[in-house]
Amino acid sequence: MTHSNDSRPNLDPVRPGEQWFCYWKTSASLWENRIAEFASHEIIFIPLYWGFHAESDGTWDFGRLHPERDLVRLINILTQQDRKFCWLLPLSPAPFLPNGGVPISSARTLSVSHQGMHLACLDQDQTLHKMYSFFEPKVSQTFAGFVQALGEILASKKIKSSIWGVEFFYNENNQAISFLEDYSLTFDQGFSRYLKKNHPDFDLIATKEEAKLKKYFRDDVSSLFQSLAQDCLASYWEGIKEITIFGAGPKDTIERAIGSGKSQTHYFKDLFNSYINHGWFSSCLLSAKEKKDLLRRCLSEHFSNDEIEHRFQYLSDSPELSPDFRPYALFDVFDQDVVSVFEQNGLKSFLNNHFPWMYHQYNKLEFTPSWIDSSHHRVKFFHAEGMDRTAFAQMLKLFMMGQRIIFDSSKLSEELDRRLQVFYLENNLKLQSVNFITPINLCSLGEGRFITFEGQKLNNPEDQSRFWGHLFKFLNMNHPKVETDQDIFSLWRIRATSPHELNYLDVRRVNFYNPTSYKKSVMVHTQKKFAFMKLIDPLHATAKTTPDGVEVELLPNGKVALDFGHYEENR
Amino acid sequence: MSQLNLIYHFQSSQNHDEEFRSARYKVTYFFNDDGFVADSILEELIKSFPEASSEDMTFLNLDDLKAFALRVAQELNLPQVRLISVQDYNIGIDGAKDLKTFKELFGKYGEAILNESVQKRKGLFGKLFS
Repeated sequence: MTHSNDSRPNLDPVRPGEQWFCYWKTSASLWENRIAEFASHEIIFIPLYWGFHAESDGTWDFGRLHPERDLVRLINILTQQDRKFCWLLPLSPAPFLPNGGVPISSARTLSVSHQGMHLACLDQDQTLHKMYSFFEPKVSQTFAGFVQALGEILASKKIKSSIWGVEFFYNENNQAISFLEDYSLTFDQGFSRYLKKNHPDFDLIATKEEAKLKKYFRDDVSSLFQSLAQDCLASYWEGIKEITIFGAGPKDTIERAIGSGKSQTHYFKDLFNSYINHGWFSSCLLSAKEKKDLLRRCLSEHFSNDEIEHRFQYLSDSPELSPDFRPYALFDVFDQDVVSVFEQNGLKSFLNNHFPWMYHQYNKLEFTPSWIDSSHHRVKFFHAEGMDRTAFAQMLKLFMMGQRIIFDSSKLSEELDRRLQVFYLENNLKLQSVNFITPINLCSLGEGRFITFEGQKLNNPEDQSRFWGHLFKFLNMNHPKVETDQDIFSLWRIRATSPHELNYLDVRRVNFYNPTSYKKSVMVHTQKKFAFMKLIDPLHATAKTTPDGVEVELLPNGKVALDFGHYEENR
Repeated sequence: MSQLNLIYHFQSSQNHDEEFRSARYKVTYFFNDDGFVADSILEELIKSFPEASSEDMTFLNLDDLKAFALRVAQELNLPQVRLISVQDYNIGIDGAKDLKTFKELFGKYGEAILNESVQKRKGLFGKLFS
């Protein structure tokens, strides 16, 4: 169930958001009461501050010396209170922890960003945490000691527990950057040793090759931390998550420190970018002033327990709609780590202008039965650059299952092109070809549509806009059209109809947020397929119906939700 | 009075994408109390420096970078601009432990360049309260 009312308490460092519990920030005598403050249905996420358990003699304390380090007692309290909980074990510097979590004895070299700046992050309480390099050999040795000691203590007490390994990221210029990305001298020294060992004949003049090898080295070190943790904590290991920490990047640290601070609009951009990238995030660094009313409400309305449980795979959607609202998107975009293709062919810009926040972006295809079923209604976009045989075969399978696939075939390898021609022949598929700005081929199989085009030929914004405009018209998305300013943020959800709403196929709810200090308007065109049902929880907002749909006016910090009944499947 | 700060990074000569790149000064962050200076302003003003690259905001020498910083201060009508190298920023970070000490580094390190056009315009009232 999603909670539409804002039940979040005032911010506090022990419970900084997203159901985190920071045990080291309060007295152990208060743990019981503080845990009782979480709603009983919520999963509690407990980040592990591994540096906090380090003793100067190299041993680890789990409560023998300090009660705040007594993880066994903490687990007992959680178990007595019948709580669902899991640990978050940092596999990279963690920006909300002193020294990034690294014990003082191993914190030797500061991590450096790609601009050459030491990485430092401001905490909720205005403390500056400096990040230390994970490429320092002493860090991995100490980490190995910690995970071993943790595994032993959990095993000796026969405790049931689940642990997620977490790599932390920050946002900068709409890109998520790992805290493992490090340009320090320590990284360079480690890289030299790696080169000598693995590539003794490497020519340093070949800079492109060097960048690739540096990535391999970084991946190797990342895998080292993962395997150390996984080996020692195998019985508790749930997997690895990537979590973006808002306000943690070097640009954020400066912006948060200067007079005006980081604006709500910028935080909304971070949050919504994280949403479309299907990533998870934490707002743990943000102060009460930063997590202002609207951001707090948005987090509460869309990113509370249900969404968290989905992201951590404790819940999965059934293919059929349920009476509860669930997030609704229209498109899946797969970029195979080559993000520039959909930027250059204009798809990204078209989606951002016409269907903002209504798509999910993936590096690779998650080809699991539950994902395939739950995403069946979404149109899927692929491009050929960097595509391997597996992804290519999976894409064709999705089409055979009745899904709608749009494929930018520019730079398709000869081998995959041959396979595509064989696929057409084997399945006796009739191709319809048109030349509209670029050659387009369409074939159908049942409900499935497979459209290929050469995106490289979409050279200028005008052509791109015409091309995508026509293509989306053909796709007939059956969804209200929204016209609004770019700084208005919206999220759609969908649910099944209730017995007294049988005239509708489904019910869709859109939430609009205006984090700016200006009055903004939004027009929702219902397109003779949607009936406006009701207005929910307006805050500094008004709405009126027009013959064409609903016109909304949002004052600064305004928000509103609208429900629409969908009454026509196809024209 | 809002202070204008420019953090820059000296990049030594290197091979870049198999081409030789000479040493240069890159504008990393340019901001004052109201936030970061808009890219559109920086991109417009950098055009008057023929040797600079507007694509990656780099200058071939420090004098051009300083002149550019002053030009931005003039455009924004601010009395001074402080240029802080990434090395200085890092030294400041080493000594900072919280928001207060972090903010102090922008007054402590780097080189301040006065925008005399604003200084000259200051009346008695402005002088008293600056």
